[in-house]
Amino acid sequence: MTTLEDPATEADGRTAGDRRNRVIGTSQLRKEDDRLLRGDGRFTDDVDPARVLYMAVARCPYPHARIVRVDASAAAALDGVEHVLTPADIRRDTEPLTVLRPVPGAPQLPYYALAQDVATHEGQPVVSVVASSRHVAEDALELLDITYEPLPHVVDVLAALEPDAPVLHPSVLDSNLLAANSDGSGDPDARFAEADVVVEGRFRINRVTALPMETRGVVAEWRPGARELTVHCSSQVPHLIRKQLAETLRLHESDVRAVASDVGGGFGLKLGVFPEDVLACLHAIALRRPVKWSEDRAEHFRSSTHARESVHDYRIAADSTGRILAMTNVYATDIGGWNSPFGSAQLSSVVFNGPYKISDGYTERRVTLTNKTPVGAYRGYGQPEVNFAYERLMDQLARRLDLDPVELRARNMVTPRDMPWKNPVGAVYDSGDYERCLRMAADAVDWAGHRAAGRTPRADGRLVGIGFASFVERTGYASSRFLAKRGSVFGAHESVTLRANRSGGIDVYTGVSTMGQSSETAFAQVVADVFGTDYDAVRVHAGDTGASPLNTGAFASRTMIAAAGALRSAAEQLAAKTRRIAAWQLEAPVDEVEVAGSVVRVRTDHSRALPLAAVYTTAITGQGMPPEEEPGLEATAHFEPSDAAYSFGTAAAQVAVDPLTGEFDIERFVLVHDGGTVVNPTIVEGQVRGGLAQGFGAALTEELRYDPETGQLVNGSMVDYFVPTAADLPRVELLHTAVPSPVTPFGVRGVGEAGTIPPGAAVANAVCDALADHGVELSALPITPEAIWSALAGRSSGGGDPELTPTAKDLPDGGVEY
Amino acid sequence: MTSVENPSEVLVETVTTVNGRVVTASVPARLHVADFLRQHLGLTGTHLGCEQGACGMCTVIVDGEAVKSCLMLACQLDGRNVQTVESLAEGDELNALQQAFKEEHALQCGFCSPGFLMTATALAHQGRRPGRDEIREEIAGVLCRCTGYDNVVTAIERWFAENPQGASEDPLPAVTDPTATQG
Repeated sequence: MTTLEDPATEADGRTAGDRRNRVIGTSQLRKEDDRLLRGDGRFTDDVDPARVLYMAVARCPYPHARIVRVDASAAAALDGVEHVLTPADIRRDTEPLTVLRPVPGAPQLPYYALAQDVATHEGQPVVSVVASSRHVAEDALELLDITYEPLPHVVDVLAALEPDAPVLHPSVLDSNLLAANSDGSGDPDARFAEADVVVEGRFRINRVTALPMETRGVVAEWRPGARELTVHCSSQVPHLIRKQLAETLRLHESDVRAVASDVGGGFGLKLGVFPEDVLACLHAIALRRPVKWSEDRAEHFRSSTHARESVHDYRIAADSTGRILAMTNVYATDIGGWNSPFGSAQLSSVVFNGPYKISDGYTERRVTLTNKTPVGAYRGYGQPEVNFAYERLMDQLARRLDLDPVELRARNMVTPRDMPWKNPVGAVYDSGDYERCLRMAADAVDWAGHRAAGRTPRADGRLVGIGFASFVERTGYASSRFLAKRGSVFGAHESVTLRANRSGGIDVYTGVSTMGQSSETAFAQVVADVFGTDYDAVRVHAGDTGASPLNTGAFASRTMIAAAGALRSAAEQLAAKTRRIAAWQLEAPVDEVEVAGSVVRVRTDHSRALPLAAVYTTAITGQGMPPEEEPGLEATAHFEPSDAAYSFGTAAAQVAVDPLTGEFDIERFVLVHDGGTVVNPTIVEGQVRGGLAQGFGAALTEELRYDPETGQLVNGSMVDYFVPTAADLPRVELLHTAVPSPVTPFGVRGVGEAGTIPPGAAVANAVCDALADHGVELSALPITPEAIWSALAGRSSGGGDPELTPTAKDLPDGGVEY
Repeated sequence: MTSVENPSEVLVETVTTVNGRVVTASVPARLHVADFLRQHLGLTGTHLGCEQGACGMCTVIVDGEAVKSCLMLACQLDGRNVQTVESLAEGDELNALQQAFKEEHALQCGFCSPGFLMTATALAHQGRRPGRDEIREEIAGVLCRCTGYDNVVTAIERWFAENPQGASEDPLPAVTDPTATQG
């Protein structure tokens, strides 16, 4: 990988020469790997307490149905069945599930762990059973007698907004519009009126799912005498799970301990408490025995959150030179049958203008209920959606003006001189050279040569096209005060505890669970680097609320952005005390004492040294301490970044398309990406490549399809929901720049989500470039040969729907969280 | 093992060899191999992702061939030789394939890693030296949502390149402990 700036270039003011144990910026081997490669990880389904019982859940088979009668007597009588929960039990014993990130202005929906009078999506839990084995529990489900009265349903996001649509939650809302909000600045209407060119279109984004390889799961154990509910779960946010479980189960937060050690992928899906978590806990409390539920994949497709689905009406106004005057995005985003545990994506509004410098802009969001599985967070969280729309329109604008699409993009990008730059909804782009990434991508695919060559078909008749997609990516969160304004029940900070031990090591306690993002490794690197000790001497203990300081969790590419500051602060505190103790023992000035590997020594005379283990023992026992020092060697620190950091980049795709069939190959895919200072190059590259694989899946093959007639999910299994395999993905070439962010510790930016953003737009633009002479414009994901063939044949769908007319005057201003 | 009271549960006597140990077990007729390995033998390195044979998390080696252990019944193991991910490391040391995964960053959350490791191990048992594209095809039965596969392919390719003798190794671990284990 190419790194233009030395990542060591010293956002924190130190020079490389100062560092004795420099590990930031180096590819240390991961601390997570040994156990995972031996099959010795501790995933939720691996937790098997003595006397454990197994839960199975009966789910509504209809998209919308009244629950007329529940008779569980035959199920309860089956040998091995220990406990049954019905809707009435849940109403009596629990509160509705809360939402971590409520949609501003949205009412609280009565989302109970079991459907009450009416179920609003196929797969919603209705009854749960606990038995001696999963087999028996599932046998018992067959004996349940549940009478449903099917109700009219709606599964299309635009149809759900029609006046005659069946209303999902009539006791709370008189339509399916859960909430609407808008934001913007300037006078976009005036700019559109004076523009030389307006391009506009409707863009449909497919419903997909994060599909972590480990499904969700929970093991709940209640010790009544101790009033302690221990909950092992596959979660990105154990501290938030603890809070939500306590609220829902009417317990004190002190009564709940959530543990998520190894998590088999999350990608945003494993945020917040789900109905099954509550059910397992209730059973465990009633039975005073451990209860375990491991979601099977058929359940996962119907009850874990989906993502992305939205319809965007986008417009761009420009003058004849290609300068963009204004941009608007009015969209409906499908949230499914309930507001999900985490809430609806907002980043479609936050970065709707992408990397382009626009002062007059407007975005409006309609969060819409449909009779489908709830939609939640997923890697990128709103950003791939708008990128597809605005980058498709950029190419259309270039064609209308007969401009080079690369030049058009470059002409409108926010420049380094402009930054920090505030976009129309108030998001502040911190730093970066967007145009350089664009130029690097264009050079990498020989864009100039492609333009010169024209569109001559190859010998086999295929046409070659190149497409670009430039993007910004909001990573981390703006500060807690902004989150508070929007009603989020979490902050923007991370916290960490460091504790020295008598073996000479440092234990790191963090609430950030280990879900593949390599936080154990990166955390140890930061501690080793700041403290000065060996990387191998740092041990990270993750994901246990009983051990770690209160934190926010692993999402929004925020882990390193926020945690690095806490780690640095705690490591500095620990190092300072270590040096004071050693200085006193070595009879040297503190300023001349340094930590170096496994010893503390006098900087100018390395023979005067103490083993770290001895210094730690001194502190822990308090024996031999300087008289003014308190015993103990432990530090807890909290850190909140001053603002979100924006990653950025450009992707370029080269495709060869058969104009007769619509079949295509992605021959080259280049991504130029900037994630700021690189803590571990291998991890960064791994995160970007993994994100790209999910981006290609969503762009090319993945789509959850509902039959409009029956409201059923028709491809809810691994067999017919097409996740890319190793044989399916194009070869990807990665290039990096590394401009440090001024708003984060060490200059890091988030790297987890970038890859998900540009594949759809880059590939679509490449296909449309190849088929420009055929007048093909793609405006929906996924991009399939069938969709291209339909476009070639003039069979594109999408006409006839009502427009999403802006209703700004009716909406509160500043509805967007940035 | 939890006792199963359901009278519909039919038990079958099964004798098999797992990671070199002879295992005698009385298993429910409908129990699949992955649940048998995980719940009866505590070999939780074999993971479950779909129980439809589509995701590959549960891949183990039976008589030298990679199989999706969610698609095979435990009672079908009678007389067969099973190898799981727990057999790979040699004492405290990762084996060469595991080490290649570690050094090439071929895993992130690691949930799929046992599936890839066992698929690659079975591939070596075939005695061929696959190229990069062939490796991609051969491992396509195991899904990964984290890595984008490139590093997985690189690790397996490297392992084949650095272990020319690997392909000719005895595919099945010898029985090291003749003591029958009750599963």
